[in-house]
Amino acid sequence: MADYRQMWTDLGMDLEKHDVLCEVLPDAFGGVFLSQQNRPAGMDFYDFVVSEIHGVRPAELIEHRQKGGKVFGTFCVYVPDEVVFAAGGIAAGLCGGSQFWVSGGEKVLPVNTCPLIKASVGARLDKTCPFFMIADMFVGETTCDGKKKAWEILSKEVPLHVIDVPQMKRDKDIAAFESEIKDFIKVVEGVTGNQVTPEKLGEAIKLINNKRRALQRLYNARKASPVPISGKDALLVTQIAFYDDPARCAQMANRLAEELEERISRGEGVFPADAPRIMISGTPMAIPNWKLHHIVETAGAAVVVEESCTGTRYFEHLVDESGQTIDEQVRALAERYMQTNCACFTPNPGRIEDIIRMADEYKVDGVIDVNLQFCNLYSTESYLVKNTLAEHNIPIMHIETDYSEQDYEQLRTRIEAFLEMVRK
Amino acid sequence: MDQIAYRWYILFPNHHQGLQLNRELRKANIRNQISPTPREASSCCGISLIVEPDDLDRIGKIIEEYGISIDKIVKLPVKTDWQYRGI
Ligand code: SF4
Ligand code: SF4
Repeated sequence: MADYRQMWTDLGMDLEKHDVLCEVLPDAFGGVFLSQQNRPAGMDFYDFVVSEIHGVRPAELIEHRQKGGKVFGTFCVYVPDEVVFAAGGIAAGLCGGSQFWVSGGEKVLPVNTCPLIKASVGARLDKTCPFFMIADMFVGETTCDGKKKAWEILSKEVPLHVIDVPQMKRDKDIAAFESEIKDFIKVVEGVTGNQVTPEKLGEAIKLINNKRRALQRLYNARKASPVPISGKDALLVTQIAFYDDPARCAQMANRLAEELEERISRGEGVFPADAPRIMISGTPMAIPNWKLHHIVETAGAAVVVEESCTGTRYFEHLVDESGQTIDEQVRALAERYMQTNCACFTPNPGRIEDIIRMADEYKVDGVIDVNLQFCNLYSTESYLVKNTLAEHNIPIMHIETDYSEQDYEQLRTRIEAFLEMVRK
Repeated sequence: MDQIAYRWYILFPNHHQGLQLNRELRKANIRNQISPTPREASSCCGISLIVEPDDLDRIGKIIEEYGISIDKIVKLPVKTDWQYRGI
């Protein structure tokens, strides 16, 4: 068996604690993923990534660092990865999705902080995630209050740059974000020692756009009925996209999408054509948070799309590739990123419009709007989501949950009742 | 009477070998599933392949033909009582 213990020791990880995580992963992955029928062969790659989750990719990042490269850990889809890759660095999404890390976060954060933040802080402080130990720099942003304060704590551990993401979308806000991207370029140039030239930035824009195109293609296949891939499998692809090599990510997602397109032409699906089609909207589900998808899909409904940052918000909209100068390219980046509709903006009608549009595109029978516990932004916005969807006669339920299994049975009962209603 | 269902896991010295066997088995249309190695099979995590016992002879031939090195083959009872837990 591959033995990564030396690598983890060299990273300064707490092996004993980490071992607890290694121990539960195989059963959980077996219970959630391998129990599914007729999975596409293209999932092999993703099953492999999970099987070696703290081994293969961390080893690649370490190799990159040994050659003098730098690794940037990110926590939000507003961080322009293009800048990092243009400077020869690697950006890796680090959001914590594991209950295992929450208690470590609670040692320093108020208990009523969202689990994503607690897990992200806990993963670093407990030294139980290689990715958090490898990153040369963390890149934070000013999206929500919990994160803003968490950066101040994490910055005691790792060099941390905070990108000021505007809270509104007026022209002057987009201009402000442009100037933030320019500052970020300087920071990344300083850390990597490499200049971000128009050629390099142009290549990086194409690289990340290609990854987005591949994920868009994959999600397009989910519009078919019967749906050719489960929501759990599609979610796993997106979760892994956050830290995989972008070119390989595009290659694997395209390969999988091709297989799904063949399934569609044969009319082959993983759920019966009359199974309820569900959209999950709301806060991100970082790996290994598979809870809600597991509940919905074991109740006989298919999750066909996620309106979330571990879903469409990650790859919708491409950056205009025609820019020739840094100024033009940065403008294009700012324009693309500011099209993302997160609840941290006010007002944020675009998100609800997206949900309504996608409910139609993906032929959705019902929407489950979910927010992580203590996420004030998405929890408050759920009121508007609910009212507007009701006006459009789209069945909707709202859920607030965390990473634990405490509310599992209760959620299952509520979701089954919702599906019952949707089926009628 | 043997009521317990079993799963057969092939373990490897490294992931390259596991991925190669996965590819060859796919080509030969032999069912196999990449899985994290269960604790009961080895204290090290990493990839293993779940295969059907009826295919073991054919798989053995492929392993030999392509010179793939494996660690061992382990038979474990299928866990039917698994409950969701937050990991
Ligand atoms: S939900 Fe908002 S703050 Fe969180 S990752 Fe997405 S865009 Fe960033
Ligand atoms: S889920 Fe909400 S509270 Fe948690 S990090 Fe995202 S925006 Fe902040």
